[in-house]
Amino acid sequence: MTSLGTSRNDLPLEAAIPAAAAPLESILCTEELQRRPSRPPDYEAENRALVHLVSRLADSPNTILQTLAETILDITQCDSAGLSLLTKDGETPDVCGTRFYWPAIAGTWNPHVGGGTPRNFGPCGDVLDQNRTLLFRHFERRYPYLLPVIPAAEECLLVPFYVAGEAVGTIWAIMHSDRRTFDAEDDRIMASLGKFASSAYQALIHMEDLKVQVTERERAEAEVRALARGLETKIRRLVEANVVGIVLWNLDGAVTEANDAFLRMVQYDRDDLASGRLRWTDLTPAEWRDHDERGIAQLKATGIFHPFEKEYIRKDGSRVPVLLGGALFQGSGNEGVAFVLDLSEQKRAERALRRSEAFLAEGQRLSQTGSFSWRVATDEITWSEQLYRIYEFEIGVPVTLDLIRTRVHPEDVSLLEKMKMVVEARGGGNDFEWQYRLLMPDRSIKYLHAVAHAIRDRDGQLEYIAVVQDVTARRLSEEALATARSELAKVARVTSLGVLTASVAHEVNQPLSGIITNASTCLRMLDADSPNVDGARETVRRTMRDANRASEVITRLRALFGNRDTTTESVDLNEATREVIALSLGELKRNRVIVRTELAEDLSTVSGDRVQLQQVILNLLLNASEAMSEVDDRPRELVIRTAPDEGDRVRLAVQDAGVGFGPQGVDKLFEPFYTTKSGGMGIGLSVSRSIIERHHGRLWATPNDGPGTTFRFSIPCNSGGGADAGSAGAIRTPAVTTATPAMETP
Amino acid sequence: MIAMRSLVSVVDDDESVRESLPDLLRELGFAALAFSSAEEFLASASVAETRCLILDIVMPGMSGPDLQQELTLRRQHIPIVFISAHADETVRSRLLAQGAVACLFKPFSETALLEAINAALRVN
Repeated sequence: MTSLGTSRNDLPLEAAIPAAAAPLESILCTEELQRRPSRPPDYEAENRALVHLVSRLADSPNTILQTLAETILDITQCDSAGLSLLTKDGETPDVCGTRFYWPAIAGTWNPHVGGGTPRNFGPCGDVLDQNRTLLFRHFERRYPYLLPVIPAAEECLLVPFYVAGEAVGTIWAIMHSDRRTFDAEDDRIMASLGKFASSAYQALIHMEDLKVQVTERERAEAEVRALARGLETKIRRLVEANVVGIVLWNLDGAVTEANDAFLRMVQYDRDDLASGRLRWTDLTPAEWRDHDERGIAQLKATGIFHPFEKEYIRKDGSRVPVLLGGALFQGSGNEGVAFVLDLSEQKRAERALRRSEAFLAEGQRLSQTGSFSWRVATDEITWSEQLYRIYEFEIGVPVTLDLIRTRVHPEDVSLLEKMKMVVEARGGGNDFEWQYRLLMPDRSIKYLHAVAHAIRDRDGQLEYIAVVQDVTARRLSEEALATARSELAKVARVTSLGVLTASVAHEVNQPLSGIITNASTCLRMLDADSPNVDGARETVRRTMRDANRASEVITRLRALFGNRDTTTESVDLNEATREVIALSLGELKRNRVIVRTELAEDLSTVSGDRVQLQQVILNLLLNASEAMSEVDDRPRELVIRTAPDEGDRVRLAVQDAGVGFGPQGVDKLFEPFYTTKSGGMGIGLSVSRSIIERHHGRLWATPNDGPGTTFRFSIPCNSGGGADAGSAGAIRTPAVTTATPAMETP
Repeated sequence: MIAMRSLVSVVDDDESVRESLPDLLRELGFAALAFSSAEEFLASASVAETRCLILDIVMPGMSGPDLQQELTLRRQHIPIVFISAHADETVRSRLLAQGAVACLFKPFSETALLEAINAALRVN
């Protein structure tokens, strides 16, 4: 309504409408139309007008009403022609409208286009009321409301305008002067054009509706297409990325489409797919069929099936574990899509994990090693099964300090308590080793050795991880080994003694022989008629010398084989070596061994057991001599050297020109009971090595550049201090004690 | 007088033997010379003069049996009395089988020595 009030014409507002001045009959002259002389019907002009209308309707439907107005103007030769449409909203024709709206005006009143009148305050309302053609003369006399619309209408012919069978407006022609009057032909042609215009307008409205509908449909379709394109792009991306296998299938068992990922998984190719050889029913092993059945039941009920694991048979007959999920296409009832994930890697990883867990458990069981973790912040304790076994607790019972205390030896500190002490003392984070004992219910003792490692997890929380090894068996075997070793040392001594007997006999027999010979000579010299006193004195002197020589041998022998405890003293290796050579000279000589000594002057003394060291040297000499027993093509030369060694140590080397130690290698030489000799016990080298090691030294052998082998040992000089004494004494006392030393490594 | 005495040569690497044994041999009425090695004896002018050789078995370099073999090769048939500080019966049997007159283990008595030398001289 407001649109009318503000329209471009000069019509007054309704409030200002004056009351009707003249009665309707005084302004109507409709009947005159039939009485006036009429022009003959001009069908040709009418047809032209209609064709024009039609072509304009086709070309420019929006201006059809204006064209209609112009056509009327033209064909009736009037001054103004136009349309009035009843409307509610100012645009749409509506029977129930309250105003007339002038959408098109041609001729003189053209400037009033867009204006209008109230429903009941103008000639249009009369036309609709009477639903027939009416001819008015000076209607402003009845409707002063229209007075301002100038020039005034001398005559106005109005015919109803129908839309969908309802009269919703008028078309009209106006003469502003009396230069001509409307006649029956005008009435006819207006009615004809009115009908046409009604139809055209209806068609137009319909077309506009159609257009709107088409546009809307197109827009909706475009949106759907865009959406589909977006989705399609995403789905295509998913399919082509081949991250997961994607399969299109139907319930009949066919695989209709599949991406490369899926084909790779089952080792089929595109040809198989195209030929229809690839059927999901064939891919499924018999024992998985009922899983499929359940999936299909689910599909039929809900349209989807929840992911489940199964196996597929590959083309080569092998199997691939997969995770499968999918859905039926909406509305298809038979076809669907599924995603397939290859679980091989995951299964392998699971198997590997299970295997490594099994390995770990088995390893812990075999090595008698349990593991232990303690989260400091939460006091959470985790024990491995093997640790439960070591403690002889039922596997899985909650581990508490009280429970642990029922096993730990009353004199010892448990690992957990030790950890807590470390955390309290130093805030934790230190690795350390710990040894303690368990006192089992049957009063037996277990020796445990733990190594604890501090870690911080991702949140920075401190956690201790420890391995706890049951070293009881090792302890016991160490004790047994130490005992065996000391027994071996005795045997070795006896063995050496056996070998030495001949040598010693030689060393003693030589001076004895001299003594007897000299004594015989002496007697003879004194028994002669003229006793040779000077000669006799000389023989006595020689006798005493030889007796001393024999005595020295006995002294050395007693030193070497006397029943004595080990002692620690300063030992001059040169001196010790000379004594050993002296004792074994006979044996060496008998083997035709040439002994050369290269003993370093001013050699530092070493701290240790002289006799034990001499036993080692003797052992090396006898071995060297033995090694050359079958050598005839070169001198059986044996060289003994002493020399200072790096790191404040002294080295002794015994070099032979023997047959070497053969392909068995050096290490075998030092194994107990290894021997290359047909006789002998072969324990010498292993015992020798243990003696040297107890002197904190080492004993090793290397092949010479030429024939033979050189054995060397290197031991620290005296400056090492008295600590060595105790460990050298360890040959008699096993190194193992039942004490529980706490050793912490920073 | 001296020329009538039979020469007994002693070859031994042990100085004590070389000092004492010749003196005793002289007291027993023999001429005696001492050599410290087989090589020294072979190089000496006394090989042909020696009527009895008292020979140590174990010596550095050429051993007693080596010298025995060498003398055989040189056709010097000197009766040999071996002496040894190693009382090894196996060795003695072998040496006797190879032609030694006697094999004495140190220490040996004056009587045993004299018997062996007399036996050797009888071989001549």
